Amino acid sequence: AEKVYKLTMAETWSSNFPIFGDAPRNMARIAEEMSAGRLKINIDSANKHKAPLGIFDLVRSGQYDMGHSASYYWKGKVPNTLYFTTMPFGMITPEQYGWFYHGGGMELMQKVYEPFGLMSFPGGNTGNQMGGWFKKEINTLDDLKGLKMRIPGFAGEVLAKLGANPTNIASGELYTALERNTIDALEWVGPSLDLRMGFHKIAPYYYTGWHEPATELQFLVNKRAWDKLPADLQQILSTSMKLASYDMYIQSYHESAENWATMQQEYPDIKVKTFPQDILVAMKNANQELLDESAAKDPLAKEILDSQAAYMKKARVWTNISDRAYLDSVDSLAE
Amino acid sequence: MMFLIHLERGITRFSNFLGVICTLMFIALLFNVFYDVLMRYAFNNVSIAMQELEWHLYSAIFLLGIPYGIQHGGHVRVDLIYENLSIRGKAWTDLFGCIVFLIPFTLLVGYYGVGFAYESYALGETSGDPGGLAHRWIIKGVIPLAFFCMTISGIGMILRCINALRGVSEEGFSHPPIQH
Amino acid sequence: MIGIIMFFVALFLLLLGFPVAFTFGGVALIFGVLAEGFDMFAFMPFRIQSYMENTVLMAVPLFVFMGIVLQKTRLAEQLLEAMGKLFGSVRGGLAISTVLVGALLAASTGVVGASVVAMGLISLPVMLKYNYSKSLACGTICASGTLGQIIPPSIILIILGDVLGIPVGDLFQAAFFPGIILIGCYIVYILILTFLKPEMAPAMPQELDNETRTQQIIAALKAIIPPLALVLVVLGSIFTGIATPTESSALGGIGAIVLALIYRQFSWKMLYDSGLEAVKVTAMVFAILLGATAFSMVFSYTGGDEIVEEVLLNLPGEKWGFIILAMIAILVLGFFIDFVEIAFIIVPILAPVAELLGINMVWFAILIAMNLQTSFLTPPFGFSLFYLKGVAPSSVRTTDIYKGVTPFILIQVLVLASIMIFPAFYGMG
Ligand code: NA
Ligand code: NA
Repeated sequence: AEKVYKLTMAETWSSNFPIFGDAPRNMARIAEEMSAGRLKINIDSANKHKAPLGIFDLVRSGQYDMGHSASYYWKGKVPNTLYFTTMPFGMITPEQYGWFYHGGGMELMQKVYEPFGLMSFPGGNTGNQMGGWFKKEINTLDDLKGLKMRIPGFAGEVLAKLGANPTNIASGELYTALERNTIDALEWVGPSLDLRMGFHKIAPYYYTGWHEPATELQFLVNKRAWDKLPADLQQILSTSMKLASYDMYIQSYHESAENWATMQQEYPDIKVKTFPQDILVAMKNANQELLDESAAKDPLAKEILDSQAAYMKKARVWTNISDRAYLDSVDSLAE
Repeated sequence: MMFLIHLERGITRFSNFLGVICTLMFIALLFNVFYDVLMRYAFNNVSIAMQELEWHLYSAIFLLGIPYGIQHGGHVRVDLIYENLSIRGKAWTDLFGCIVFLIPFTLLVGYYGVGFAYESYALGETSGDPGGLAHRWIIKGVIPLAFFCMTISGIGMILRCINALRGVSEEGFSHPPIQH
Repeated sequence: MIGIIMFFVALFLLLLGFPVAFTFGGVALIFGVLAEGFDMFAFMPFRIQSYMENTVLMAVPLFVFMGIVLQKTRLAEQLLEAMGKLFGSVRGGLAISTVLVGALLAASTGVVGASVVAMGLISLPVMLKYNYSKSLACGTICASGTLGQIIPPSIILIILGDVLGIPVGDLFQAAFFPGIILIGCYIVYILILTFLKPEMAPAMPQELDNETRTQQIIAALKAIIPPLALVLVVLGSIFTGIATPTESSALGGIGAIVLALIYRQFSWKMLYDSGLEAVKVTAMVFAILLGATAFSMVFSYTGGDEIVEEVLLNLPGEKWGFIILAMIAILVLGFFIDFVEIAFIIVPILAPVAELLGINMVWFAILIAMNLQTSFLTPPFGFSLFYLKGVAPSSVRTTDIYKGVTPFILIQVLVLASIMIFPAFYGMG
């Protein structure tokens, strides 16, 4: 019989976290089927390893061969990992996949992860995330001042620059905190995962997105474990990861559409809002300032940010004359 | 064998010192949380660093409190049998437990804790949240520190057993140092 | 298989009487290293970190401190005594008061360790002082301490909501009435027991010196108001959104200090001593958690998960058979696996089957939560028992606690059965 290669994988998510947790399982299934059982991947969820935000370390040390997580979680360890999930005012999903696979993104990501004996691959996309649930309407920049919002990471830094107060709340206490006005707003994902959190019952305003236009999850692979695989299994593994990522993007899109319909049915009063122009401009400027600071500190950061900016500039022109133009023209027909 | 008694007392003093540190950190925690609530509610002002300090303090308290508790008999036993044993019987039980359970366990976790904290130090790990605390290795380093302190407290417990078995001193068996 | 053998070995070795926390840790080490080698323990720092960053558990030291200050200033004693006196010649007044105070505490935290320990500090000494039977006192405290599981906010309901994909708010709402019924059953049980066996819970001695009932009530109110105000501060700060449930425990601690100041009982020494004791009790609770996490790590990494999964996947595919066997399985597993593990590992296996059978998932979740509440009480691994033992005076024996919780376990099982049989009565038809 042929040798069976067994890999272990740790995921950030708990055992039945929908969509995010489906992606690695889908990947493992595809890999096993394509290899006719020669490549088996065993997935441990956070309930087992208890280290949702320790995947980087676990895969790096070889405790696990692979991980499924999101690159921006490692920002505190390796600042340049921030740029491979999504960026405020950045690319949308098709543009970002273009950058990864054809615009030099994968090479830059490898450059960041290589010193740690790790390989990183796209791991599934949520699509455009919503801006979050707000208890009160945001009309002016003053409304943002002192706004207590659960918004972690880089986007939180952007809002902090505008005078908002990013706040840490344990995820188990989020619902109660928002319900009782301990915080004024929070961001989660989008309808696909927000529905079950129940935020639509307690916050009337659902703002459209600006800060996570294309959240890409991540497969991490320990380089030594990768090198032990024969070439054909390496190819099968990377193809499975790519396919599972694409599948997750579709699944997210579908679930968001479904769940949004459910939310609207149950709570027709949800008010979908977009931040006013001047607020978006201020956010974008704050975002740019932060990026400029990072770029000035580290040449690799600058290289990544320049590459993203250049790619987006090119791709957006196409997006505008294709998807945007199509939607605009079709919408005008509906009226 | 005065040496063993002195050593035992030295370890007790060390554990008491941990108790003092933890108590001061506890009082700091109490006011830390109060301050954060007050600032958020009354002044609409949130400091992520102060919020993170809460769990830094709370976890240092329980981690370093464990070795203190070992020294002061603060850890729960299923005493269906234990409470009916003679002092010699109790000393043999504790001696066995320390050598077979406590010392190997704390040493092993402490050992892996060193690597864990060192990784964080080598990467210069900081909080991933805006305005969070830097130097994550310090709080991660409390894990091995606490487990090695548990080993030391365990050695203190062994000495106490040896002193009791040799009939030198029954300190720590007849009168547990702290009672509720 | 290793996990099952390890469980029985641990059971036997716990009886030796070495501290529970390190017996768990040591047994885990021996089995883990034999089965998989040393490297499995490289996971331990990550597991410890998950407790460190779990800020919800911060309620433990903070509530313990509040309990200690209330005990040291004798405010808790006065509260319970006054409440006990209001019951007049009815026996068991102190135990009933304990249930009521426990219910209030449960409404401000979802952490069982926090409320059992705080109740143990506040009311155990008082009940013993008035010659209550040790087992009744211990049983009452453990049972009312675990109410925190079912009365919102509750950690287990939050986890179940997440695992089953049900909005947490719905679960909180559904749990409220079963919680009230449970409290009612505890009280009825205490009344019946103390009626049948008066010596277990003597009525409070009534001062006969010309004190009218009215004067007595006024005196009682005076004693009740300060600690009650404290409880209201804690609950109020949660309900008004001033603080999260966890933060409210710090407000409780600060409030206790303020009360001590008002009653001229405050001293720096009192503050320090209370802090030191809070540290010691906290360390006791967390040592058990850390030992248990090593134990469950070895259990799951040596294939224990798969065995459990296999058993559960073979449950019958018919509604009542499934529900009853699932409940029994959870109850039995609750003897030796942590409730968080059960919620995350076992519930996801059961959920799809339940859904397929058309079972109301909110109802199913409440059944599981009630059931897991019982797992805190079941000897020998019920964590509430360890926690209470950790703060009880040495005159209280392990057997007193075991004996005391048994009837309360039966009550919980009965209430659980009633929710199963009459879901409509509980609003989950
Ligand atoms: Na998000
Ligand atoms: Na509760």
